Amino acid sequence: MMSDLSLGSLSGLPLAEAGGSFWFPPESSSIAAGSDFVYDLILWLCIIFFVLICGATLYFMVKYRKRPGHKEEVTSTHNTRLELAWSVIPLLLLMVVFGVSTYWYVQFITPPNEDVHQVDVEAKRWNWTFKYRDKELLGPDKQYTVVGELLLIKDRNYQIVMTAPDNDVIHSFFVPAFRVKQDCVPGRYNKLWFRPTEASPPEGFNMFCTEYCGDDHSKMLARVHVYETEAEWAAAVQEKGNIGRITDLVERGKVIYDQNCKSCHSVDGSRLIGPSWKGLWGKKEEMEDGSTFTVDKDYVRESVLVPNKHIVKGYPDQMTAFVSWGDQEDAYFEGIYAYMESLKD
Amino acid sequence: MAGGIVEKPTSGAPVRPKVNYLNETKGLKNWLVTLDHKRIALMYLAAVSVALLLGGFWALVLRTELLGPQDTILSNQWYNRAFTLHGAVMVFLFIIPGIPASLGNFILPMQLGAKDLALPRINLLSWYLYVIGLIFFLGILFLGGLDTGWTLYPPYSSGRPVELNLIFAYTGVFILGFSSILTGLNFIATMHKLRPKGMTMYKMPLFLWALYATSLIQVLATPVVGLTLGLSLIEHVFKIGIFLPQYGGDPVLYQHFFWFYSHPAVYIMVLPAMGVQSELIATFSRKHVFGYKAIAWSSIAIAAIGFIVWGHHMFVSGQSPAAGIIFSFLTYWVAIPSAIKVFNWVATLYKGAIDFKAPMIYALAFMYLFGIGGLTGLFLASVVNNVHLHDTYFVIAHFHMVMVGSVLTAFLGGIHYWWPKMTGKMYNETLARIAAVMVFIGFNVTFMPQFVAGTRGMPRRYANYLDEFTIFHQVSTIGAYILGAAVVLQAFYLVYSLFKGKQAPPNPWGSASLEWQATSPPDFHNFTEKPIVMGAYDFENWEFVSEEAGYVLKKEVIETGKSLATVH
Repeated sequence: MMSDLSLGSLSGLPLAEAGGSFWFPPESSSIAAGSDFVYDLILWLCIIFFVLICGATLYFMVKYRKRPGHKEEVTSTHNTRLELAWSVIPLLLLMVVFGVSTYWYVQFITPPNEDVHQVDVEAKRWNWTFKYRDKELLGPDKQYTVVGELLLIKDRNYQIVMTAPDNDVIHSFFVPAFRVKQDCVPGRYNKLWFRPTEASPPEGFNMFCTEYCGDDHSKMLARVHVYETEAEWAAAVQEKGNIGRITDLVERGKVIYDQNCKSCHSVDGSRLIGPSWKGLWGKKEEMEDGSTFTVDKDYVRESVLVPNKHIVKGYPDQMTAFVSWGDQEDAYFEGIYAYMESLKD
Repeated sequence: MAGGIVEKPTSGAPVRPKVNYLNETKGLKNWLVTLDHKRIALMYLAAVSVALLLGGFWALVLRTELLGPQDTILSNQWYNRAFTLHGAVMVFLFIIPGIPASLGNFILPMQLGAKDLALPRINLLSWYLYVIGLIFFLGILFLGGLDTGWTLYPPYSSGRPVELNLIFAYTGVFILGFSSILTGLNFIATMHKLRPKGMTMYKMPLFLWALYATSLIQVLATPVVGLTLGLSLIEHVFKIGIFLPQYGGDPVLYQHFFWFYSHPAVYIMVLPAMGVQSELIATFSRKHVFGYKAIAWSSIAIAAIGFIVWGHHMFVSGQSPAAGIIFSFLTYWVAIPSAIKVFNWVATLYKGAIDFKAPMIYALAFMYLFGIGGLTGLFLASVVNNVHLHDTYFVIAHFHMVMVGSVLTAFLGGIHYWWPKMTGKMYNETLARIAAVMVFIGFNVTFMPQFVAGTRGMPRRYANYLDEFTIFHQVSTIGAYILGAAVVLQAFYLVYSLFKGKQAPPNPWGSASLEWQATSPPDFHNFTEKPIVMGAYDFENWEFVSEEAGYVLKKEVIETGKSLATVH
């Protein structure tokens, strides 16, 4: 109903995302229709004023152009009524826009009182970690961690609680199809609620980091999958959240590496932010504090869980701790050890 | 005797005054220690032009990178440096000082009918501070660039291991801030103390009202960014928790401090542009500007309200929703004084005789581009839309329409308008018109597609992007090349005119403000004879004399020393 105002049909261009229009990605959350309604309202107001201003300018440009036989006329240099009118009328219109916009914003910041499901989000340079809990669908005391994929159920109310580690930087959670965005600020928890109203296409919706965060800012993407049924969702979470499903340890390690490690550690010997993993396993490394360590299971485990304890000489203290693997921690480490070992010279 | 206002047309073409401010004394040393506001203005113009070309170069580099969704010519690291240098150089070294320090410095005392600014030594000092700031930024380039973004947000900036480039950036901006404050102080002092008898505040051209409002912001807001970056510098070097969360600081506090300056700073940029616009529109339609007092006071209103809207940069930062709603409300109010100006400019055209000289083409382009830039601000002032559009290309397009579409357009319009006065030479009008049209087309092609890309969700500061945004980026890059070509063309014919241009008459456009009663170029003391004080838009006092190739004051005005204009 609300998209009646839309200019969607003007388009000869490809649509924004599957299901989108000329201007917009698909309207797939509880707030999207309201947000687009306000957008269209302002758009029409702008078009009217723009046509009036530019129309008058163009008309005067033609009618009063300097030419032989045409002379300027002296006209009055102010007109209180006219000036009041063009100050007060736009102001009143803007107050209407403010009112409508604020009405929808209040919806956007006010989650329902009950039946709200929480997803924890941790943003790090440069990936997204999502943590899922659900007593009924996943079992009590179970938490699944999935990197790079936000998994949701259609028509459920979600509260997204997001943060970034203290020694990381600001990121921002943005899903265009939902029209929602919120910064993930180190040292505080920011919240955001919405209700997905449409199942996602098979490839999922786009999700971006929208606060500049350094080298791989433009690669800090995720996919958002919205499932029709609870069963589909639970199956997906249990599968994607179970790293042990990959039984080949080297392959498992490679998957973990691709999701979590590769923006800072190369596997071809080139220097990124941290040391390259090529030939690292078994090597003796000198630390900033003068001590030396052999890169073995103990050292790797410490580096992942308490990264700032021993910093390799010549590298910045920039790694954030990976502590959200829960009861899958051992499965993760098995994969990492095996993969690093496979990169030995 | 060098020609003053009473010089009668003698023969044919206008004659260049033998002695003028450009050749009064010779040699580089005399320029470097000059206290003449006109020379300092030219030195500023040279320096900000260097900044414009530097910032423009980085713009073209990053637009080229964005021709394809994956790496084309730059790595991510270099793309990040390119947009940081583009933004920082354009904001701190070009747009903020651009119009006030170059055009304003030259024109302000002359429009008042004064000999110089109130504090000539301070004026020279502010130029040197500017140059020191510029050197710091060139230093950053030689040290391998900086990738923090021009906003220098912590923790990404100050939280990193100590880095000389970043220290240079903090120091550079801090020093540039002093340059800006001193210029503002000087302008305010001059407008209060050096107005000659008969030149009341309401007789001042609107450009001066705009500069007055600008100066107020410069003096009041700039110290805040200086202190903020000073704190960042201390935090960066000594690891004290002010904004850094791992030491107990709050990064959102930085954003409040930063935008407390940087939002008013956009009015430091755009108000002088609006001032130039008022002069151009009135002069080239030969009409007294409509709603003089409304335009004058709307500048002050913008300066005042501009101080209390900074939170609209932070709707998704974690700032409280109640604060967000209040900032949204106030932001809608600041739209009104800008709208009033636009309506007044349109009304000024009514029943005029509109002359499409190059400066007027810029002024008309300004109307259109500022219209888009201003109106698209209404989307961003709505919190619920801002949540979707924040940090997307919609924001990029919006502020470039204002910062570039309006400020750069007015800067170029102003340069062309005052070029004959500043240099005593006329440029090639045909080439100038072609360049003006190219600038207009270039802006639109560059930034219009970005509104659509942004609404579709394209985030800003992305070195790589999803395939679905490719077409928008490619069109945008073509537009940037058109703009780049226009700037090269301008540089060519403006420099050419210095050597081969025709001698300019004292008043080629028929303007009525006082600077046009001086010779072109002006005498060292600005006026060889006391100028006749009259309304800045009383064009009926001037008539076109074809042997002079310009306008001269009507006899009866010279004889009586009084303006012909009646009160309308």
